[in-house]
Amino acid sequence: MTSKLNKALEFSNYRTTLNIQHNALKSKVQTLLNYSINGGTFEISQMLISFVKTLIEQGHDTAILLDVYNNPIEIVGLEDFLEEILSRYFEATNEYHAEYSKMKQSRKVHKLVDLELNDDKE
Amino acid sequence: MTTKSKGILIFAHNNEEIDYLKLATINAYYIKENLDIHDITVVTNQYSYDYNLDSMGYDFIHDAISNIVITTKDKTFKNINRRSYKDTSHNSMSLPFYNIDRCDAYDISPYDETILIDADYLIMSDVLNNCWGHDNELMMNWKYQDIMTDRDDPTLRRLSPFGITMYWATVVYFKKSNYAEQFFNTVRHVRDNSSYYQELYRWPGGLYRNDYSFSVAAHMMSGFIDKGIPQLPIPALYKTFDTDDVHSSPRKNELLFYLEKPKSLGDFMLCKWRDLDIHVMNKWAINRVSKELINHVK
Repeated sequence: MTSKLNKALEFSNYRTTLNIQHNALKSKVQTLLNYSINGGTFEISQMLISFVKTLIEQGHDTAILLDVYNNPIEIVGLEDFLEEILSRYFEATNEYHAEYSKMKQSRKVHKLVDLELNDDKE
Repeated sequence: MTTKSKGILIFAHNNEEIDYLKLATINAYYIKENLDIHDITVVTNQYSYDYNLDSMGYDFIHDAISNIVITTKDKTFKNINRRSYKDTSHNSMSLPFYNIDRCDAYDISPYDETILIDADYLIMSDVLNNCWGHDNELMMNWKYQDIMTDRDDPTLRRLSPFGITMYWATVVYFKKSNYAEQFFNTVRHVRDNSSYYQELYRWPGGLYRNDYSFSVAAHMMSGFIDKGIPQLPIPALYKTFDTDDVHSSPRKNELLFYLEKPKSLGDFMLCKWRDLDIHVMNKWAINRVSKELINHVK
């Protein structure tokens, strides 16, 4: 282990590292929840999913949705759109859950960042 | 109906210490891997190209980059425009910062849709694919996020304390259109009259930065409204500082950073960064892990 790494670990505060890693994970999930289609971009949220489901239940197959830029985007085939955003939502949140669970169980700085060290030498 | 061409454009002019063309080449391998975009144009100069032909070889460069554009350096500008580069807080060096030709991106790009990126903005995800076919003709970010969230530098938010919002020229999406052409013409106009615009917009120091000229052009081209140009379809531009370092690249699309603590300079925290694009400001740090980076994608 290099002296620089030793020093970094010495100064690393577990809670701060946890926060940094949690923020990095949140950034990744936020990125995964951005979806561009037909020249617009949507943030996949529970609200968007519910709204699209409501439109389908009311018999709509096509609708104009406002994207994150408040541009009107025509979505033809709301069923397919719902399926796509639900699939992306599950993918992102499942990954978030898996990584977050792993993070909560990591009680040492090097484990939080997946750095392989011999615990006996710490 | 013909398919619109899309590609990535990178400017890479080496100086005595920083091998920007090498960074661009490594990045090009990541672009091909993560964005599945194979049309990559790099603008460089003969000296940088010849140096890298010797150090990396023809095949290594041309396997990654599909189109190399050689330009001639403006030697006067090169000698005047110098900035302080840091390799952590322990080492800093004043070196030429050759960024004069970024405003030529519109004319140089052979693509209908272009994403212009810095050589050190490492593409480690496919998120920029959200740009293609967008209704917005031009997009760039003012929102940035340092990966150590509690470090705040107010000078990165505005051109001056009471000035306009600063846009980052680090990543710019544009499609061939009158609006984008006018925008780049305006950037060139600001560059050519930078003393006047510096007086007007009050940006600090004597260094010419594209972030400043792009921000002023964004302000002018929005009808003098702040934040008038739409942002990229990404949550934020993620960045580190040049006072940070890179420990390693343990896996593909993963970097382990040393982040300098804000209230204890020279001391570092660790951060694992994975599957997200990242602006790595410490160029020496990328170079130190360049073999690892390449091994993951080649």
